[in-house]
Amino acid sequence: MDVYAALQAVINGLLTGALYALVGMGLALIFGVMRIVNFAHGAFMMLGMYATYVLFTRSNISPYLLFIVAGVVLFGIGYAIYFALLRPIHGQSDFMQILLTLGIGLIATDGVLLIFGADYHQINIPLLGENFHLGSHISVNAPWVVSFGIAVVLAVALYLFVMRTMIGRAARAIAQNRYAAPLMGINVFRVQAISFAIGIAAAGMAGGLLLPVFYIYPQVGDQFTLKAFVMVVLGGMESIVGAALAGLVLGVVESLTSLYWGNEWALAVDFVIFLLVLSLKPSGIFGSQKA
Amino acid sequence: MKRLANCFALLLVGALVLCGCKGGSQQETGNTFKIGVITSLTGQAAAFGQAHKNGYTVAVNDLNAKGGVMGKKIELVYYDDQSRPDQAVQGVNKLVDQDHVPIILGAYSSENTRAIVPAVDQKQVPLLMPTATADNVIQTGSPWAFRICAGSGAYATTTIDFLKAMNAPKTMAVIYENTNFGQANGQAMEKAAKENGFDVVDTEAYQASSPDYKALLQRVKARNPAVIYFASYLLDASTLMRQSAQVNLNPQFYTSAGTGFAAAEFPTKDKGAGPYAEYTFSVSQWLPSAQWKGSKEFDAAFFKLTGAHPAYHAMEAYVTLLTAVAAINQANSAQPAAIRDALKNINLPDTPFGPIHFDLHGQNPHPVLITQVLDGQYKVVYPPAAAEAKPVIPTPPWNKRQGL
Amino acid sequence: MKRSHLIVAFVVFVLSLLLPLVVETGYALQILFRIYLFAALGLAWNLVGGYAGQLSLGHAAYFGAGAYGLALFSGKLGVSPWLALLMGVVVALACALLIGGVSFRLRGPYFVLATIAFAEVLRLVAKNLPAVTGGDVGVQVPTLFHGNVNRAFYWAAVMLTALAFATTVAISRARFGYYLMAIREDEDTALSVGIGAARTKLVALLVSSALTALAGALYGSLFLYIVPDQLLSIDVSNEIAIVAMLGGAGTVLGPIVGSVVLESASEIFKNVFKEAHLLIYGVLLVLVVLFLPEGIVGTLTALVRRRAMFGGIKAGAKGVAAD
Repeated sequence: MDVYAALQAVINGLLTGALYALVGMGLALIFGVMRIVNFAHGAFMMLGMYATYVLFTRSNISPYLLFIVAGVVLFGIGYAIYFALLRPIHGQSDFMQILLTLGIGLIATDGVLLIFGADYHQINIPLLGENFHLGSHISVNAPWVVSFGIAVVLAVALYLFVMRTMIGRAARAIAQNRYAAPLMGINVFRVQAISFAIGIAAAGMAGGLLLPVFYIYPQVGDQFTLKAFVMVVLGGMESIVGAALAGLVLGVVESLTSLYWGNEWALAVDFVIFLLVLSLKPSGIFGSQKA
Repeated sequence: MKRLANCFALLLVGALVLCGCKGGSQQETGNTFKIGVITSLTGQAAAFGQAHKNGYTVAVNDLNAKGGVMGKKIELVYYDDQSRPDQAVQGVNKLVDQDHVPIILGAYSSENTRAIVPAVDQKQVPLLMPTATADNVIQTGSPWAFRICAGSGAYATTTIDFLKAMNAPKTMAVIYENTNFGQANGQAMEKAAKENGFDVVDTEAYQASSPDYKALLQRVKARNPAVIYFASYLLDASTLMRQSAQVNLNPQFYTSAGTGFAAAEFPTKDKGAGPYAEYTFSVSQWLPSAQWKGSKEFDAAFFKLTGAHPAYHAMEAYVTLLTAVAAINQANSAQPAAIRDALKNINLPDTPFGPIHFDLHGQNPHPVLITQVLDGQYKVVYPPAAAEAKPVIPTPPWNKRQGL
Repeated sequence: MKRSHLIVAFVVFVLSLLLPLVVETGYALQILFRIYLFAALGLAWNLVGGYAGQLSLGHAAYFGAGAYGLALFSGKLGVSPWLALLMGVVVALACALLIGGVSFRLRGPYFVLATIAFAEVLRLVAKNLPAVTGGDVGVQVPTLFHGNVNRAFYWAAVMLTALAFATTVAISRARFGYYLMAIREDEDTALSVGIGAARTKLVALLVSSALTALAGALYGSLFLYIVPDQLLSIDVSNEIAIVAMLGGAGTVLGPIVGSVVLESASEIFKNVFKEAHLLIYGVLLVLVVLFLPEGIVGTLTALVRRRAMFGGIKAGAKGVAAD
């Protein structure tokens, strides 16, 4: 196979990786501020997909606008879940938090199954048939380019939020030292609620962006939960930028693995890299904190 | 405290014991005839479990309207195997031990079906398999297992026969999803291809439900096969065809092991590959337009019940119940052994799924058809006796097609 | 554990063995098999998860190693089933050495994710190498017992649970158990006191993995046919951990109670709620976390202790008032 095939694979990997990055950034934010291993993260992405799907079938507005609504809806859901379920168990063991998020994920997945049925659905927008050609060897599918662009904008927005706004700064303070933060006058619960809601909203928006190029069914989020974990660890547990970069890396690695070795090994390679990084540099490729 | 917990544990165990001893209602004293059904109502295969359920529902309505079985109304007792093989086995135990069904229909997937064969063998209850295509389900030697549908071996050999009849060049790539369905069909085709002098230039297994297969398709393109054989479900089938166009992959024949490539929605623009489905070949077990008597009526009844057209899985469920009831009536008995003997000898020449009888291994030699998508419709193109159209070969390259 | 407690445990054990005299249907026996098997699995997990405080969500790796060891060693190498079973346990131990060696250097969520990753890699390897493992088409497993299989496997599960229970009791009374709990409470302090944390955790994992592998082999042998997603998936790991956590991690009885409650609830939900049963299961998990954070056994213990304390205070107050 020639250079162009490899280049094409890298480009496709970056396009997919951008959506991964959005999901991973959300999880990194949640983990950094709350140290919760959110096993329901993929389920929230799935909810975002369904929200966008329902709105699209009713209104016929482009999903590339509707995803914002999905984000808002998921923000609200995240906020509510924080106060109803997560705050009461604040300070409890990791065990219980994991159990809780597992339970939430199950409720979301089975609930969607009951309401929408188990069947797969997909939407068909005209953009799907458009391809951009770069020279005679490389082509990119239009919807992926659009979602890449939007994902980049959202990622930058999230970064600015964390770095520049008061709440973002407060979130980082909590991440750095959760005991000192309230002493500095930070309302930990409120900041955590907002951070959680934003993290979930990011996943939901990624779902909305994924909808046109993928399919929708209740279990669609499960694969993304595990990948999000991989991204967060690769990126350094609390680093949003790290998670984003890790998402891109993951997309490219999967694509190249498919090209040179076989599609069925892509997920396994994700995990092997994950384990290698954990054994050799637990603070992550891009991270600097201690494990 | 420990005593408390111990009593608690004992109580629960006791409750279960009572459940176990209760034994459920007897078959003869009720005024319905219970038939057991194992299918996947939840889990990965839930969509197909629903298709099963809908097919069974149409069948039950039809049969009860005609008087039911042995003078009683048919009652289907469903067990949800959650798309898990161990749950399917539990289902066999529950249906036989608690509900006392004399026959079981199911499961949906090949691995779940394969898993329950030893169980029905042990319980000595006949099993009618509607949709499992992996051939290992019927190769266990059990005298209690019967399969209605054609298997992956038949898919492969019929496709090869078709390709030979079309004088296709003998290079092939096999692309299959990395699941039981995919691996079973992929392996069956590799075997049949090699036995018939085909050079299998590439085999690709893929992780189902991925958004991007372009790298895989590029690998295939580099090997330049004349024939591609897919084993995919609907959504991957749509993605694969769309991305084949993007990658400009142009074999002379796109063939497939049915399922996704034979789904009612596959040629549609909204829910399938739309124009990208054109010219693809697929094996088929049944179409609503099939010539068998009752096909159109089933299509209409199914549409009335669900608002969608049936794929062949639903028809297989329908005809499986039909066969079960015919066997029970023929045996005129609710004893599993008698029903099994009736199944061994049964001969139903006129079902909407074609003729049904079982060979020595319990396999119904259901004919496999080859269809091609022409003008957005499935047309049978092989074997010649059943063909309604001539196949369009070779497949036009993507850049020469209109309407894309 | 007081002697009276051990006697009660023994009585329960004997009653369990005698149960098949009363319960005869395959259905009930298989459910009981499942309950005891997951009790054993929960107890095995508990050694690492409850006592050592290392939350492993990758125990499916050992479960699968046991089952696949039995299937492949006897199928491909023609070894007798019981020998294949032992070889499967050895494979599980090797996995434990590898997994423990890498993961135990990590703390908290890193450790959890590492265990998940290992199990997933094993699952994908099993799936992607059909020539070796049968892939998703599956592989046949020889039966370990003949005759009335449901009863035989049920007894085997009871024996395995008893073994796991005895192991747990022995460990909890020995110094090794205290080392584990010290590590759980504060690993750094434990290290500073001279406890070889890495080695201690590894030994616990070796014992845990061996028991888990035995359970896996039994499971595979009862069903006679296995596929990777049935044995090596994260759902299996989750179920094992949930059984222990729900019942009360770090307690001896916890996993047993957890298994009884969870497995029977699961079966009842399935029959009653049908398609909605996973939703109810999720709700159950959420409710337990919110209201029974110590697990069932832990919460009951705390309740009883509080009542005892309160009763003592009341008695004392009465005594004072009477004076």
